[in-house]
Amino acid sequence: MIPYGNNTRLLIIELDSGHKMGAQDLNIFSLASLLIFLLPILYINHRLRLSINKTLAISITRMCVQLGFVGLYLEFLFKFNSPVLNTVYLLIMITIACQSILRSSNLKFKKLFAPVFFSLLIPFVVILFFFNAVVVDIDNLFEAKYLIPIGGMLLGNCLRSIIIGLNRFYSGIKKDEKVYLYSISLFNSRIQALKPYFKDAFLSAITPTIASMATIGLVALPGMMTGQILGGSIPMVAIKYQVAIMCSIFYTEYFSTILSIIFSLNVAFNDFDVLKKDIFLSKEK
Amino acid sequence: MIEFKSAYLTRNKKTIFDNFDLQVRENEKILLQGKSGTGKTTLFKLLLGFETLDKGRVTFNGHRILKENIKKIRQHIFYLSQDIDLKNETIKILLDEIWETNQIKPDPEKFSDLLALLDLNTQILNQNTNKLSGGERQRVGLLICFMLDRTVWLLDEPTSALEETMKKKIADYILHQNKTIVVISHDTVWKQHPAINNRIRQWA
Repeated sequence: MIPYGNNTRLLIIELDSGHKMGAQDLNIFSLASLLIFLLPILYINHRLRLSINKTLAISITRMCVQLGFVGLYLEFLFKFNSPVLNTVYLLIMITIACQSILRSSNLKFKKLFAPVFFSLLIPFVVILFFFNAVVVDIDNLFEAKYLIPIGGMLLGNCLRSIIIGLNRFYSGIKKDEKVYLYSISLFNSRIQALKPYFKDAFLSAITPTIASMATIGLVALPGMMTGQILGGSIPMVAIKYQVAIMCSIFYTEYFSTILSIIFSLNVAFNDFDVLKKDIFLSKEK
Repeated sequence: MIEFKSAYLTRNKKTIFDNFDLQVRENEKILLQGKSGTGKTTLFKLLLGFETLDKGRVTFNGHRILKENIKKIRQHIFYLSQDIDLKNETIKILLDEIWETNQIKPDPEKFSDLLALLDLNTQILNQNTNKLSGGERQRVGLLICFMLDRTVWLLDEPTSALEETMKKKIADYILHQNKTIVVISHDTVWKQHPAINNRIRQWA
């Protein structure tokens, strides 16, 4: 996808951005100055009795603390740049992603962890290494600088689509159980009876990314591109990366969403094709 | 053909079956009567594997209902649920899907005869299932039943939404089939039909 070899590209970047490689550092007090705008917001919320001030404060604090930690351990990971450490880090990220997916889909972690874990892992590993090996063409496939941020982007986006997929699929069948069971009795085939729910869930999961590919660049510049340009890349390089990452995100999402539904079927249904009620977190929904 | 032996089942702390026995022989016609909410429908669901007994056993052709043979058992049973819970689809597409998954080639002559019997016109085939009235739904459900031609028919209130003459005609048609049939119905046409002769099971 990128017509230059690794060294050539590095050279071009250096030539273009000269000695100013990387974005200017932000002074911590200048960064904190952004909080000034919070004051009127807190005041307005209070006057409008929106009662979200506490949530807002917690969210902003969490963001700062969490990203602060990410910064610390990313520096650590980048410094050692060890394949083992990087892999362990990604596996932990996938595990956390699974937990977040299952909680948002109202499904039990204990029952569905394994199927969701592997449905994330398989497409993720394939696409990530293809991205590094073929698209970017780097020598060290485990290079932290590529592996960690690209992996993070793929995972973050898959999260959303798997949540939509699993949630719509299982809540759809649960809500529509009579119709589902009647389809079983008519078709005498679980696959046939599941088809409409799969179709609905899968389309809702992947259409947002397809739609966003169609409008990307028209209104907002994607965050990754902005970051790369600030980081010193010329726009065309940033754009090529953006195209590559959008495609990779879509492929990973597509396959991990399909797999998450397929892999979870055996756990979620009993021997007689009836949906188990104990896979859901709570009874009320 | 169908046997419930010492069946015991509770749901939500309510006893549905307590030492329940029932035997249905091949080609027998049985009418189940009783107040609603007493588990008559559950009986059908047990045969289809949608519910499982706490104690006792259910057998179909001498076989217990197990994972290994559930597909085979379902192949033999047509179940008409009370609300005929067809998925939302154009009837024509739905019917084609049913014929295809059941690997049957519908006989067009039989099909049009049945449409006439059930007083359905061909235009209805282009309608969506969720646009049907209760009576139309029931007749479409019966159309599927007659076309599929499975050996055991479990019919839950099959004539409740039909008008009087239609009730009679349909009950008569159904009870003259060479099938094993269990009917749940409050309609008197079933009770009075000679084919039922004393095989009425009153529910306590």
